[in-house]
Amino acid sequence: MEVTEVTKFLAETTPFDQLDADQLQALARQMSVYYFRAGEEVNTDSNRLMIVRTGVFSLYSDQQQLLTKLQSGDFYGYQQLLTDLSDQDTLLCDEDGLVYWLTAEGFQQIRYQFKNIELFFQRLFGRRLHQYKEQSTNRFTLKISDVAKARKVSISPDATVQQAAAQMTEQRVSSLLVEQNNKLVGIITDRDLRSRVVAEALPADCPVSDVMTSKPHTIDLHAYLFEAVQLMSQHNIHHLPVLRDEHLFGMITATDVIRAQQDHPVYLIGEIHRQHSEEGILQCASQILHLSQSLSNQQVPAHEASHVLTTVTDALTQSWIKLALKRLGPAPCVFTWLGFGSQARMEQGLNADQDNALLLEKEPEGEVAVYFEQLANIVCDGLNECGIVYCPGNIMASNPELRLSLKGWSKQFARWIQTPTQEALLKSSIFFDLRPIYGSKSLFNALQQDILARTKDKAVFLYHLSHNALKGTPPLGFFKTFTLERDGKQKKGLDLKKRGLILITDMARIYSLSKGISAINTRQRLIQLAQQKVMDAKDSQNLLDAFDVLAQLRWDKHQHDVSQGHEASNLLDPAVLSGLQRHQLKDVFEVINQAQSQMKYRFCREL
Amino acid sequence: MFGWFKNPPLPMNEIVRNYENTPQPSAKTALSEVNFLVLDLELTGLDAKKDHIISAGWVPIRRQEIMLGDSAHYLVKSPVGVGQSAVIHGVHDHQLKTGMELCELMAMLLQSYPGYVLVAHHAQMDLAFLTMACERCFGRSPKFKAIDTLKIEWQRLHNKGKVLTRDMLKLASCLERYQLPKAPQHHALADAFACAQLLLSQIRQHSSSMTLGELQSLSR
Repeated sequence: MEVTEVTKFLAETTPFDQLDADQLQALARQMSVYYFRAGEEVNTDSNRLMIVRTGVFSLYSDQQQLLTKLQSGDFYGYQQLLTDLSDQDTLLCDEDGLVYWLTAEGFQQIRYQFKNIELFFQRLFGRRLHQYKEQSTNRFTLKISDVAKARKVSISPDATVQQAAAQMTEQRVSSLLVEQNNKLVGIITDRDLRSRVVAEALPADCPVSDVMTSKPHTIDLHAYLFEAVQLMSQHNIHHLPVLRDEHLFGMITATDVIRAQQDHPVYLIGEIHRQHSEEGILQCASQILHLSQSLSNQQVPAHEASHVLTTVTDALTQSWIKLALKRLGPAPCVFTWLGFGSQARMEQGLNADQDNALLLEKEPEGEVAVYFEQLANIVCDGLNECGIVYCPGNIMASNPELRLSLKGWSKQFARWIQTPTQEALLKSSIFFDLRPIYGSKSLFNALQQDILARTKDKAVFLYHLSHNALKGTPPLGFFKTFTLERDGKQKKGLDLKKRGLILITDMARIYSLSKGISAINTRQRLIQLAQQKVMDAKDSQNLLDAFDVLAQLRWDKHQHDVSQGHEASNLLDPAVLSGLQRHQLKDVFEVINQAQSQMKYRFCREL
Repeated sequence: MFGWFKNPPLPMNEIVRNYENTPQPSAKTALSEVNFLVLDLELTGLDAKKDHIISAGWVPIRRQEIMLGDSAHYLVKSPVGVGQSAVIHGVHDHQLKTGMELCELMAMLLQSYPGYVLVAHHAQMDLAFLTMACERCFGRSPKFKAIDTLKIEWQRLHNKGKVLTRDMLKLASCLERYQLPKAPQHHALADAFACAQLLLSQIRQHSSSMTLGELQSLSR
């Protein structure tokens, strides 16, 4: 007889949620329950799996650095159970809580019995390794030179406050250095203009020297960032002129400091949107690599990192479009800039190229055609300069065939769907994943509804699409060995994209199209397929896990390549994997294999 | 009514005597060394002389861990119909026919858990029924003692100067106060498990070197 309170909780906790009632009961019988009081230390060498039921626990490394917080549904101890090595961790209870202990035998039993549970804990383990790596990035060693820009925005002390205000507005800064004969004599901030000029009702033509802060505090370019923080908080100031060898170098503001410490993608995306010049956008784009490194240092999971990178691409695209509109004048009609493929799916990696097009309200004729050709060229060229290179297959808005009206696109899709030629099938994988990046959403919605209505339950189309997708297979040989392939320049390896990720993406797309599901992101598609019972919940979960594992491997591989100064490649040499990872990867490919045969049965039976 | 004469009871003296001969841990024993058996009974009524045990649930605590593998839940064949009380605990007559003889249950309890300190919420009631059951089955009963989580809670709140109402001492209210998971009401094992969690949290309010004697004094 089981304690329902425990089995009910397990049934709602991944990865045990896939067990049936009997299995849950058997699992619960291998457990015991313990109550921790806040401040109590957990014995980390117990060789059991700890499952947090209530309360909060903090995990510290041997250097007393907080690694993570554990809460309801979190686990500890699997690392020791998987590797037989114990960690020098400290686990402290922050808030009173109940934990369930699972015996080592119980853990090993369940993990051998259920592949997905094994997979789950190995993934957790992989993630945990990152938490230790993270320690190497230390924000306390950042220097001013890492943060301050070599940009000197200065004004003469004889200029009027009105000129100062105008210059601040024009240069989009909140403060100016006041310079005379190449020497710093003061600073003036927007707060000064408010409190010392406007509030005192001084005339607009009074000189800057009357209201500036003379002899301001300064900091050397080679000082540590935290010294700047100290100075700022000590004197309650937000701006510090930066000197290099006694010469004026630039300015560092409180915002710069915060930004450097947060190192958060939000800042880059915000930066991009603030740019109004070509140089500004390019300058932002040059930080993408740095952003991806910091994402990887912060062990952001691959799918979230891809999401962030795609958001950056979106922001760059939008900035270029805005720039083009400023240059060309207002557009002659409503339009939507479309993103295809991985950008549409929010799954971009570091080596993504462009896949885009234009959807126009009017037919692309005469003036309309000329205008949008110019716009497309500006944007595509701009993106290419930002490192998002031209599409080798010319799937870009700069291609006149991809600047169409709603009617034009609708006809195009109808042709692909009704007469699925080889070419149409190849294209489908790119064109059927689309998302509006800029412009009219309603124009886009009209197109999407049109496409979904055409593909839903269209057996012939789905047959060909599936048939085509099934040509790619996971790289597993007859005896469950990896089959490796070569590409032109690279060594042998497993193609994580072509023989892995794409296969899952294809399946998610085909199932979604068959039921008119409008999600585009592969993970979201899989989740919705399970919710709408198009796909078995377990199968969907398996594919989701497999997708995450592959995406993570590819992301780590790309990071590694780039840090070594190579181009990011999708070919992975299985020799670099640990035994655990190899095992896990084989499971992933098995999952794909099974899903493919199910898709074959579903869509590729004789018509 | 005289059913049990046909199956002469197990050597009754032995079962009760063995139970009595296994010493309970002394008052000085640290709680981490004490084995507890947390128990809950579902009953047809409140009078031990007239009413009966319908079901019993228990779960042992060893080294301060609730051992789920040894948790148990038994339905008891009742000599009378469940009647109105079925509304409360959802156990119906037909289920009780598949249950266990009361004496079997009592023999199992006494033989499996000698030396364990009994724990219950509102223990007085459960002990009265256990005593009566033993007298019926074995002719006499050990003198049961138990830790009462209700009394511990009463004392704790009382010392804080709270004005107590009846509802505040119900198992469900106590669980809520300690932010413990809710238990489905009136299922003997679920209640026993909830009570076990309650005991652990009550113990944790005190020093880790607390002894059994100190706990017993809180339970008065």
